[in-house]
Amino acid sequence: MRERVALVTGAAGGIGGAMVRELAGRGWTTAALDLRPAPDAAYSVGVDVADPVQVTAVVRRIEREMGPIEAALCAAGHYALVPVSDIAWEDWIRMLRVHLGGLVNVCRAVTPGMAERGHGAVIGVASDLALAGGDAEAHYAAAKGAVIGLVRSLAAELAPAGVRVNAVAPGPTDTPLLPPDSPWRRPAFVQALPTGRLATAEEIALAAAYLVEDGTFCAGEVLSPNAGAVI
Amino acid sequence: MALALITGAGGGLGAAVARRLASCGHLVALNDRPDRPVGELAAELDGIAAPADVSDPGAVREMVEHVERRTGDHIGILVANAAYSTLSPFAEHDLDDWWRIVDVNLGGTFACAQAVMPGMVERGGGRMVLVSSEWGVTGRPDATAHSASKAGIIALAKSLGRELAPLGIAVNAIAPSLIDTRRLEVDAAAAGVTGEEVRARYAARVPLGRIAVPEEIAAAIAFLADDRLPALVGQILHVNGGTTRTRA
Repeated sequence: MRERVALVTGAAGGIGGAMVRELAGRGWTTAALDLRPAPDAAYSVGVDVADPVQVTAVVRRIEREMGPIEAALCAAGHYALVPVSDIAWEDWIRMLRVHLGGLVNVCRAVTPGMAERGHGAVIGVASDLALAGGDAEAHYAAAKGAVIGLVRSLAAELAPAGVRVNAVAPGPTDTPLLPPDSPWRRPAFVQALPTGRLATAEEIALAAAYLVEDGTFCAGEVLSPNAGAVI
Repeated sequence: MALALITGAGGGLGAAVARRLASCGHLVALNDRPDRPVGELAAELDGIAAPADVSDPGAVREMVEHVERRTGDHIGILVANAAYSTLSPFAEHDLDDWWRIVDVNLGGTFACAQAVMPGMVERGGGRMVLVSSEWGVTGRPDATAHSASKAGIIALAKSLGRELAPLGIAVNAIAPSLIDTRRLEVDAAAAGVTGEEVRARYAARVPLGRIAVPEEIAAAIAFLADDRLPALVGQILHVNGGTTRTRA
């Protein structure tokens, strides 16, 4: 039997990489889209997810060579701590194009096939900052909030066709996205979290894997492993 | 692997949760009211029966002591699923019955959480999954007591999630929509309609086009009971087939 194919964007990053390893451990063949190589994936291709042409082309190639994509997990993203007065227009656009655009581009490429086959799972990666906002994180939070709006709307639109769209909304997570001097790594912040520790990429991947495999009645759900930062 | 206490295990969802957690390798203790025996299922799953009315805190404490003594272990997983419910227009709802619903659903959850806490602290942590309901998020006509009790469970999960996380105890809740259990047939018969009509009426407003089966809600509960997820606390998992406007 051919293994099921999962597409993971941002697969060279902390959370995307953990998703690749979690799904591979569950018997999925993983195809990685990232600007950088993703060493743990079965297939890794350099793509800017903000570019719809690149995404469509590579999805077609993957489906031709590996088989239909049954799960798409969209973890590609970047982060910046900037006061709203200092957010340049180009940076605002880039934030939206990568986070929201990356999800839109992947969904436009993979969901028609999923709907035709009558099943499939898409996971958007939002953030607890989309639920609660954050100081000097306006463009990141806005992009992640838009991800949630898209996920819930797509979920309502595609569920009748058997395609389940859900999201994880990680809280402060111990990945390279958080630089060593990040305020989210300060002992005072971490100790004030109900769990007293940052989330791990593996936990976010477990939550995503649940939504892909076992969450058969979840659609439009936003699951937030966030160390108790946002309850 | 842990010792898991499942309340309301005599019902359709509780039994599915017991099967799922047993299949994950957990030792299951099955609770229901003394007049709803669970011995047969307990025997089938190599678990133990733990009868008690969850709205009686003294009986709950004795039940937990009995289970922990019998197994020589502390309870590591609590699935607080026991529930009682009747439907009635608000103005006509018998006040004693109204409070019975709140005392079983919300009070019973409180009593169970409080009774298993010391053991969880002693074993270095644990997980509690509180079973709320879609109606606890959205409200529902003729179900004021049920909805209030289930909304209370959501707030309890959020507060306990904050309070117990520093102790290594992860508390979360699940808010399922209508589940296809025996209870559905009983309620349908009481309302003078067929189960099929009830299923169709609910399914019509669910994007996934059907109602949930107990096994997939049990899978969601097993996920929330997974001890590899310490960062997941105080959250409400909505398992409702995509009715995305019905959430807290």
